[in-house]
Amino acid sequence: MAGTIGNLGLFFSLVLNVVLLLLLIQRIRQTNFGNLKIIELLNNGVFLSLLISFLILIYCFIISDFSNVAVYQNSHTAKPLIYKISGAWGNHEGSMVLFVLILSFFSFVFLRTKVVDKLKIYTIFFQSILIFIFLIFLLLTSNPFDQIDPKPLQGLGLNPILQDPLLAIHPPFLYFGYVGFSLVFSFALAGLLTNNLDKSWSKIANFWIILPWSLLTIGIGLGSFWAYYELGWGGYWFWDPVENASLMPWLAATALLHSNLVSFKKDKLHSWTALLAIFTFIMSLLGTFLVRSGVLNSVHAFANDPHRGLYILSVILLVTFYSLVIFIIKSPKQNTHKNYPFFQKDNFILINNCFLVFFLSVVLVGTIYPIILDAVSGQSISVGPIYYHSILTPFLFIFLFFMSHGPLLSWNKQDKFPQIRNVKIFFFISIILTSIIIFWFFDYKNIILILGLFFSLYLIISVIFDFVLNKKLIKLHLGRLISHLGFGILIFSIFINAYLSKEINLAMKVGDEVKIENFIIKFKSINKVKKQNYEEVFGNFLVKNNGKLVELSPSIRKYDQPVQLTSETSIKNNFFVDYYFAINLSDFEKDKIMIRFYYKPMMFWIWFSILLIAFGGMYQSFRLTNEKQI
Amino acid sequence: MMFSKSVKNRLKIFILIAIALSIIIFFIYNNLKKNTVYFYAPQEIKILSNIPTNKIRLGGLVKEGSVKKNNNTYVFIITDLKEEIFVEYKGLLPNLFVEGKSVVAEGVLKDKKYFIANTILAKHDENYMPPEVANSLKKKTKN
Repeated sequence: MAGTIGNLGLFFSLVLNVVLLLLLIQRIRQTNFGNLKIIELLNNGVFLSLLISFLILIYCFIISDFSNVAVYQNSHTAKPLIYKISGAWGNHEGSMVLFVLILSFFSFVFLRTKVVDKLKIYTIFFQSILIFIFLIFLLLTSNPFDQIDPKPLQGLGLNPILQDPLLAIHPPFLYFGYVGFSLVFSFALAGLLTNNLDKSWSKIANFWIILPWSLLTIGIGLGSFWAYYELGWGGYWFWDPVENASLMPWLAATALLHSNLVSFKKDKLHSWTALLAIFTFIMSLLGTFLVRSGVLNSVHAFANDPHRGLYILSVILLVTFYSLVIFIIKSPKQNTHKNYPFFQKDNFILINNCFLVFFLSVVLVGTIYPIILDAVSGQSISVGPIYYHSILTPFLFIFLFFMSHGPLLSWNKQDKFPQIRNVKIFFFISIILTSIIIFWFFDYKNIILILGLFFSLYLIISVIFDFVLNKKLIKLHLGRLISHLGFGILIFSIFINAYLSKEINLAMKVGDEVKIENFIIKFKSINKVKKQNYEEVFGNFLVKNNGKLVELSPSIRKYDQPVQLTSETSIKNNFFVDYYFAINLSDFEKDKIMIRFYYKPMMFWIWFSILLIAFGGMYQSFRLTNEKQI
Repeated sequence: MMFSKSVKNRLKIFILIAIALSIIIFFIYNNLKKNTVYFYAPQEIKILSNIPTNKIRLGGLVKEGSVKKNNNTYVFIITDLKEEIFVEYKGLLPNLFVEGKSVVAEGVLKDKKYFIANTILAKHDENYMPPEVANSLKKKTKN
């Protein structure tokens, strides 16, 4: 019953969407851009009926209405309420409803902002086309309200490793991020077609770039954090194609938000900014394709329906083709460049863009090369992390160097002298700090580690320097300072973590005590707990490290629906190091339990720095919008 | 001399960009070549003309009753129901390593019948079968 209303909601929004599109086409043909009342009404209608459908879907999950296929396949009566709710978007069909809903939400909010009417109508037009494309996709290949008759008595359950509070909010963040880039994509096309790519375009675009960018940052962070504590392999980033799928739009958007800054401040690079806006959203679509088509195997590939992949692939090709055609025809002619002095902020941002585009291509090649090779020759390969590390690392160092100096330069005049002085100061302090860290704390000498620490400290020092220098204008720069500081800390922590983590694998039984390197691990006891939809066996361990005592209780859960064993990690941390413990059973070690112990330094700072990066972005997205034109 | 200054400048920039691009492409290509790991099913290994010396992945089913343990070393058989290969692995087996279920091992071939694994790849849930393995099993049923 509820399913029928939900289905009607989807159809109704499609009808309204089509009417809206026809009306917009008529308006654009007649160049009639006044009176937005009707457009607003229809636009609201599309959003509201989608919202209702989505709420009904959640409702079906809450009451466990198994006549609904999506509910039947992904839920179970014995599941806690929060996972029933998050189950609504924890599957392909539901997440596609969320996808369209967010497209429409951005259109809904955008129509309420202050923008020139002409630009507004074109933007809503493109956004509505996207909504149309994905509504059709939803209804044809992934309708969440498909019914089963007779109604099954019980559902199949949600994959236990997805039953996690963080994972309940990870998809919404990620979606607000990369579906959010649709708006700036539509806005760029609108700007191109109406010849409105100028400073005021960039000023408005800023908000629509940085806000989704911040949310995407958090989304990626959440996914990474989940992988870290749930998968039990002690890692947080595996260069898995699914992770890369979210990193690619992030890299493109990072380039975009910087080039848009140049467009805003210096009134140039507009076509490059527009191109990046288009490209960012194409990367989002590519991510959707990789994750949803079943060409990759991961926890995200829910069902391998080849039609879905084909549809999204055609959408990508179509969107890419048409937006590039619009770009090529309408891209504004740049006034020929005067001889700009080199040491200027905009040049450094251009360099930043070159690097980011390079990073993006490296990740793109590594991600899709195996897929293409498989399609062409049937040969299965995988590209390992070493590929990414060995290519990206040396360029990252240079990138950090430019990142340290770019923000200190001025937009307009060439100031050479203070820069050279800065180089000396930063160099000197970073060398000292790096040596202290390397020789006093770790006594571990590796040239890549040393360079990584040096350059990340170099950036951190430059940010602090920048902070002190700009104290009076702090409000203007705070967002950037926080994000850049976050990035410096992130790289610093990643390097320490990569080189100083330790891993111990053993088979143990209760009462065993083992000494390896500096660690003494004692297996104290076992206890059992029964929960709503699983049974949990805890192993209690004591780890001694140089006089420090840590108690850890990792566990194994046996879920009822579907029947599955999962290992739950136990992590104890302070600011500087995580003690990480996971156990599992093995058929081949009857009386013993397999343990994995990890010593992971700086994990706290990795998560914290990601939050800093996102927070800086949010601050800046609201700030620049309120800034007066200069 | 022959060209005006601006043409010369543009030419310089163009050449610089071309050099930079070719270095970058060479760099990416080289790294890609070095760091790709090929996947094989046992039947594909049988027909190889020479044994690959670098790291590969081998996938199939763990043959029922084939797992033997000696100290910390496991020896078992990976099969695609057509060909079989012995696999030696030192270390701890993941949760989802079960006889009769699918497995992917990463390591090097000693010869066409013997594989030394250094990693057993763990996957997400127990009904899951890596597509490479599923494909190789499909091939077998076709032949």
